[in-house]
Amino acid sequence: MRAYSYVNLVIADQKILNTAFLENPEYYCSFKDSPKKSNHCCINYPILFKKKHLYLRDMKKNDSDELIIAYKELAFQHQEKENRAAELIIANKELIFQNEEKEHRAAELIIANKELAFQNEEKENRAAELVIANIELAFQNKEKEKRAEELIIANRELKQAEDDIRKLNDELEQKVIERTAQLEAVNKELGSFSYSVSHDLRAPIRAINGYTKILQEDYADKFDADGVKVLQTIIRNSKKMGELIDDLLAFSKLGRKQVTVSAVDMNELVTIVREELLFEDGENIPVFDVKILPPAKGDKSLIKQVWINLISNALKYSRKKNKTTVEIGAYEQNNLIVYYVKDAGAGFDMQYYDKLFGVFQRLHSHEEFDGTGIGLAIVQKIIHRHKGTVWAESALNEGTCFYFSLPKTNPLN
Amino acid sequence: MNYDNVEILLVEDSTDDALLTMRALKKSGLTNKLHHVIDGAEALDFIFCMGVYASRNIKEYPKLILLDLKMPKVSGIQVLERVKSDPDLKSIPVVMLTSSNESPDIEKCFALGANSYIVKPVDSDNFFKAIKEIGLFWIKLNQPQH
Repeated sequence: MRAYSYVNLVIADQKILNTAFLENPEYYCSFKDSPKKSNHCCINYPILFKKKHLYLRDMKKNDSDELIIAYKELAFQHQEKENRAAELIIANKELIFQNEEKEHRAAELIIANKELAFQNEEKENRAAELVIANIELAFQNKEKEKRAEELIIANRELKQAEDDIRKLNDELEQKVIERTAQLEAVNKELGSFSYSVSHDLRAPIRAINGYTKILQEDYADKFDADGVKVLQTIIRNSKKMGELIDDLLAFSKLGRKQVTVSAVDMNELVTIVREELLFEDGENIPVFDVKILPPAKGDKSLIKQVWINLISNALKYSRKKNKTTVEIGAYEQNNLIVYYVKDAGAGFDMQYYDKLFGVFQRLHSHEEFDGTGIGLAIVQKIIHRHKGTVWAESALNEGTCFYFSLPKTNPLN
Repeated sequence: MNYDNVEILLVEDSTDDALLTMRALKKSGLTNKLHHVIDGAEALDFIFCMGVYASRNIKEYPKLILLDLKMPKVSGIQVLERVKSDPDLKSIPVVMLTSSNESPDIEKCFALGANSYIVKPVDSDNFFKAIKEIGLFWIKLNQPQH
């Protein structure tokens, strides 16, 4: 089995050499562990081969059959080795490819990992933000709860205030009811007082007046001139007292009378008042100059009384003049209508103006002009109850002008 | 006493007013037979023939009742109500006389059927004038239904 051909040895390369080494180990051992083994080995190849060749040639004859078998064996083994090597190469390539794949995959995984890490970071960031947001929400919730509590308190306070107001209103209403009842009672009392005054005072005065009249008529011959004068004085005074009582009652009645407001045709009203005037014998027949009078808002019967009193006044205080002229007119001023009655009569001294509208106040003596002094007080009361104003301008012996204002009627009504 | 043919029934608690009223009627020439009762109770007795007036002929109606409003016991309003709610008597003219125009009963009087409502004037001239006019109108001018 030691028959090696030179050609085969050359092909066998290092592996053959190893086999050769096994045949002659003494030789190879001398340089086996040398640091320059391969160079030394190569340099010594010819020597080796020459020695081998000589050795093999000696053995050739004995081993040729074995050699063939061995050669075949070797060839097969060699083929196997080559196949194995090829397979190994393929496997290596495969491995390399797989490695490469793995590296790619690894690279991809790294990227994916990085991505994941980034995503995780993002998620952590988001989670952190969410935590902050949650805290914020929790804070807001708490604030809202606080606000809700405050609102509840505010609501409760409002409710309390509302209840207080309602209570106050109820109390006020109760007070109004009580006051109204008191006022009604007072009014009723005043009414029965007026009735009592007018009934009980008038009856004895009527008796005084009536009986004196009987004396005057039936017993005139029993009295001298002075006595007759006394009787006349009693009659005149009792009559006067009756008038005073009537005027006072009329005036007090005004305060209690309900004012029923409607549109009043003033020209019509003045015409009616003029038609109702009664004139005594020898009295001046007045010359009226009535302008266009716009309608006003008021209580017709009360406004009529105003015209009656003012026109009667104008006629009364013109009585001593040769001629009686009365001008009646109106003008507008600041949403009000001002009406006036102007005469050319006795007039009065403006320094006594503050007494003009007083109850039972007079600027002339009874001898000059009769009257109780209630007429203008009634006028003023009526106009005041209409939320109007009354005033006058006068010059002694030249005449007087009375003015009163009333609310304008709404043209739509 | 004979209460027949009474033409005017004067119901008046004040003797002074009664005297003045009767004088005024007489002076006005109204000499018709007049009977004066002093309050509402007596007026009802007279009208419905009761008490001292039980023997009076109920068919003899006065032509006019002058009725004071404010009287003790039975008021003028109550008398008016009785007269005006009686089918036989309601056509008798009833003139309410009062001292006051402040009476709360003026409207009620008219609602009950009073024919006139007179506030007695304080001044005797006016008082006489008023009574005279009432008498003249209701006795002389007015034509009763029966």
